[in-house]
Amino acid sequence: MSDINDLVANILKQVNNSDTASTGSTNSSSTSVSDGKQYGVKDYPLYEKHRDIIRTPSGKPLNDITLDDIQNNRVDRKDLRITAEALKMQGDVAGDAGRKTLQMNFDRAAELTKIPDDRLLEMYNALRPYRSSKDELLSIANELRTKYDANICAAWFEEAAKYYESRKKLKGDK
Amino acid sequence: MKRQKRFEKLEQRPINKDVIVKEWPEEGFVAMKSPNDPEPSVKVENGVITEMDGKKREDFDLIDMYIANYGINIENAEKVMATDSAKIAKMLIDPNVSHEEVLKYTTAMTPAKGQDVICQLDFGEMIMGAKKMRERRKPANQSHVTNYIDNPVELAADAAEAALRGFAEEETTTAVSRDASFNALSVLVGSQTGRPGVLHQCSVDEATELQLGMRGLTSYAETISVYGTDRSFTDGDDTPWSKGFLASCYASRGIKMRFTSGSGSEVLMGYPEGKSMLYLEARCILLSKASGVQGLQNGSLSCISIPTAVPNGLREVLGENLLCMMYDLEAATGSDQSFSHSSMRRTWRFMGQFIGGTDFICSGFGAEPNPDNTFAGSNEDVYDYDDIHFLSRDYGQSFGIHSIKEEDAINVRRKAAKSLQIVFKGLGLPAITDEEVEAATYADVHEDMPKRDKVADMKAAQDMMDRGITAVDVIKALVDGDVKDVAEAILNLQKQKVVGDYLQTSAIFDDKWHVESAVNEGNDYQGPGTGYRLYDDPEEWKKVTDIPQVIDPEHFDM
Repeated sequence: MSDINDLVANILKQVNNSDTASTGSTNSSSTSVSDGKQYGVKDYPLYEKHRDIIRTPSGKPLNDITLDDIQNNRVDRKDLRITAEALKMQGDVAGDAGRKTLQMNFDRAAELTKIPDDRLLEMYNALRPYRSSKDELLSIANELRTKYDANICAAWFEEAAKYYESRKKLKGDK
Repeated sequence: MKRQKRFEKLEQRPINKDVIVKEWPEEGFVAMKSPNDPEPSVKVENGVITEMDGKKREDFDLIDMYIANYGINIENAEKVMATDSAKIAKMLIDPNVSHEEVLKYTTAMTPAKGQDVICQLDFGEMIMGAKKMRERRKPANQSHVTNYIDNPVELAADAAEAALRGFAEEETTTAVSRDASFNALSVLVGSQTGRPGVLHQCSVDEATELQLGMRGLTSYAETISVYGTDRSFTDGDDTPWSKGFLASCYASRGIKMRFTSGSGSEVLMGYPEGKSMLYLEARCILLSKASGVQGLQNGSLSCISIPTAVPNGLREVLGENLLCMMYDLEAATGSDQSFSHSSMRRTWRFMGQFIGGTDFICSGFGAEPNPDNTFAGSNEDVYDYDDIHFLSRDYGQSFGIHSIKEEDAINVRRKAAKSLQIVFKGLGLPAITDEEVEAATYADVHEDMPKRDKVADMKAAQDMMDRGITAVDVIKALVDGDVKDVAEAILNLQKQKVVGDYLQTSAIFDDKWHVESAVNEGNDYQGPGTGYRLYDDPEEWKKVTDIPQVIDPEHFDM
């Protein structure tokens, strides 16, 4: 575990060089389904019951993705990702099935779909013990709220900052 | 002393090579109840837990705080905590009380209350509890797919054979960490060749594991470890908040994941704080629940030699599996690491999980001979396949796997090795020769494989990450090589990540990509005549009973 920083740094370098790093702008809400409808257990599995309304991050209908599209570069890696909308639908299903904490996880996850891989890994790393000062955690919270409209995750970082201070998990507390 | 001959022989039995020790509560060497464990308690003020298990909120460590804020169903907490633990324990095995009704109680328990309920149960009662509280109707199983030299062709062949045998999930890891991307790729191609819909993971460090998932080279993750004391957790280089965030990172990429914990880990790390293994594991289970993950792999796992060294050890292990189910979580129930020299003890290790039935009875079963298992050997390996089939047949009980014909194994192993050969060619990776394909088809151990240039493979594995190879490139290579069915399977796996159905609790796929989870295939066991029964599932029962070893009475020479 001691070389975890090097590892993460190395991975970040690779991610930056790869075509998997999303730009953060590929997830446009205008191209995805978001009809405000509440989904539930009866709608599950979505793949069998609502495939027609599931879209990729670039707005392609799931039914339209074929081997031919892959072969002719009409679909790339970024198209094969879950959207905030699909996660909200799965959250509805989880909540309806009585699993509130799973729904809360999907709600956080929905906010994180917009964040590029590299930044997401950095944020995770910043939450690990003794990595960040209180200000650094609050600054990420601010970034989450203002740049990504990720209010639940921002509150998660603020809560962590509060408890890391009182329970001595901030940078320099070791 | 003159030796008594029988005692002399007994001393030589394999069981007497197993190490057992006296309880030592101060160092955490106690399975179910330590004198230092707190008594169950809860105090809720204005919807906030202000006291839990004898500790006031201002004295909570990070784990207490996290559990109190997120893990416990606060609405029912005071009522449930005032309910006699024996009454809740009886509900677990009472056929008049449904799975859903039990959950109303058990999801509102503090860690010490959960521990107290489990302590009311003997081993047989825990089996009854697992029958009802398991999340998915039908049990399943997970395998380990590894070899000592990370040979990619053999990995693909073994992954394909394991998939054909019925494993719903496959877990690989590396002998050398730099091989991670090759192992993930090999098991991806092998598993989807063997049976479309099998899920797979590559157990490496947290960040690399997430990275492999983001690229579509794996489809789930499991090795996200949590611990029951603050010191152990911090030594594991995480906090509850970082682990909870990581859980959301996985879900945000449409990747299934579960946490991992297990009794004895805090003892091994040196910070058990004098508490029992069960109490600390109850904290891990609640931490997982609080994080909103769909499931947990527990049951001591790689620390199994710790609980099994003390009295009530294997009772405790099934108890922690059951407690996981009682918090409404998918349970992958260990039975993985080898721990005993005794065949009898080794078999009893999984009997509770097998007869009770769990979401994943093993996590996992060695799909290679143990010397090739780079998880340090499993409690069950390939040479146990027929024993398991006989046990399934004897008891009419599912182990999640079934017998296969030798010619089918040969065909599927060859196809997987060839598919990987095509992928390697398409991605510009070091060539796989026809000789290697043939060897992997018939191989048992890594020594059966022709030697590969390890340095070239390792460089290529690193280069593959640097070039940003993803599942899309793998699909292209397979289409170019005219292996459309495997390409289609890998594409379907990616499409499932866009939909996210398999992020729900206890989800697996059948070969038509129909998801089976606690949402649509939940466990409906409620006493005799209900729930999943192998002998009432004609297709599966035939695979277990109609096996090559069976002699047809017509052929008896009377």
